Amino acid sequence: MKDFLGGVGRTSFFVLAGTSRLAGLSAEVMKAILAAIFRRGSIRREALFHQMVLAGVDSIGIIALVSAAVGAVLALQAAYQLKDFGAVMYTGALVSVSVTRELGPLVAAVVIAGRIGARFAAELGTMKVQEEIDALTTMGLNPIAFLVVPRCLALMIMLPCLTIVTDVVAMVGGYLVGTLSVGINPYLYVMNSIEAMVLKDLYSGFIKSIIFSAIIALVSCHQGLSVEGGAQGVGKATTEAVVISIVLIIVVDCIATAVIYYAFS
Amino acid sequence: MSAQNTPGNIIDVTDLVKRFGDRTVLDGMTLGIETGKITVVMGGSGGGKSTLLRNLIGLLTPTSGDIVMDGVSLVGADEAKMNQIRRKFGMLFQGSALFNSMSVGDNVALPLREHTDLSDQIIKIIVKVKLELVGLTGFEDFMPYEISGGMKKRVALARAIALDPKIVFYDEPGAGLDPITASMIDQLILDLSQKLKITSVVVTHEMKSAFHIADKIIVLHKGKVIQTGTSEEIQNSKNPYVKQFISGEPDGAIPLKQTSEEYLKGLLET
Repeated sequence: MKDFLGGVGRTSFFVLAGTSRLAGLSAEVMKAILAAIFRRGSIRREALFHQMVLAGVDSIGIIALVSAAVGAVLALQAAYQLKDFGAVMYTGALVSVSVTRELGPLVAAVVIAGRIGARFAAELGTMKVQEEIDALTTMGLNPIAFLVVPRCLALMIMLPCLTIVTDVVAMVGGYLVGTLSVGINPYLYVMNSIEAMVLKDLYSGFIKSIIFSAIIALVSCHQGLSVEGGAQGVGKATTEAVVISIVLIIVVDCIATAVIYYAFS
Repeated sequence: MSAQNTPGNIIDVTDLVKRFGDRTVLDGMTLGIETGKITVVMGGSGGGKSTLLRNLIGLLTPTSGDIVMDGVSLVGADEAKMNQIRRKFGMLFQGSALFNSMSVGDNVALPLREHTDLSDQIIKIIVKVKLELVGLTGFEDFMPYEISGGMKKRVALARAIALDPKIVFYDEPGAGLDPITASMIDQLILDLSQKLKITSVVVTHEMKSAFHIADKIIVLHKGKVIQTGTSEEIQNSKNPYVKQFISGEPDGAIPLKQTSEEYLKGLLET
């Protein structure tokens, strides 16, 4: 019993300490971004663009592949269920609304957490182990402004863009399955899709993706910067960056969806 | 924040204590680093060399005591003040700590680009001169993973002296290098000290290089300074710890084996 309670106490202490360190990092990043708005040139543009290409442009392929598959599965599943009600023609509506509101931001964020979150944590973790972070500090360069801010900003710009790609490609995937395989009239499919969507679906998904991008970037950079020890520490940080990011994304998504559903409907 | 250094000294450490939890690593350390000289800090593993160094460069904050560097106290300095102090020194890390995503030239240019308003052309010339000083003319466009460990050390040294610091700290400059390359680095330290009048603080446990380059040697043991002197004074030291350290005997004043009572005591304590 004592051991169990001790374990609970220890775990909650680590969780709280981690949360407070994460909050500290978020505050510093926020401060740097705000400062950059007023004082031009304080963010290294070259690094920002470099990270935008790595996080955004280079991820389009895998994002497109995953979202086409998700769209296709969704269309098949929707058609299968709607058949019982004789409402197969509403497949398009179901696909488009669930993708823009929910699945688009979520799928994009999960793929990017795996691809880019792991990369951030491993990169910064290795730099920490090889004393590169210390070297930056001793040169009078703030590692957060130098390394974390460009990564956070790049991801916060690119993930919403990738979410739009996900939305579009998933709808195309759904359309192909719906028209070619299920046999819905293409005109009807598109009409139903467009009619079912409202602008709110789009921007609520968009706002979610911005929140998700901040979660991925901050959690991963934080994990990377808190690496202790050698290769083992880097491996642990990388795994934790991805796991914590994905868990947080799903939890936050759940809360955000509930808020949007109850507060704005 | 302004403070006085002892005349002739560029760094004064007074009664420095650093604790990590219950573990005291630096236990009231007092020492001075003379301006323009090469001071070697020696001591066994766990003696507090690295901790002292990390306190000196502001990566750790002392538990108590004072460090005065070039007329400024490091203790209680805020981040902006600390960054000003950091401009006074360069640091050569044990593993070189070059940025792997940048070329050799960009690594050396980084402090210049971030801390000065010099034009790209001038920075290019300075980089060239600094690389020449460490004997790596024409290596600007190589990436860190394309050059050897000794070359990396030299690039890191060029980066450390990019902003013409008054002091350069060296953390185990010979570690992981073959004897020839290591003595080449030693020669570089001597050259920089003589040509550029840079104060050097070298942390090492390699006797041969220490006696070769040092103007003054400080020996640490268990978080305290146990002897300070020139190479000869240290070599002829009567202090049993220092003697054991120099001769490299496994057993002596620092016991290899515990007595049977101590062993029993240690066993029962936990």
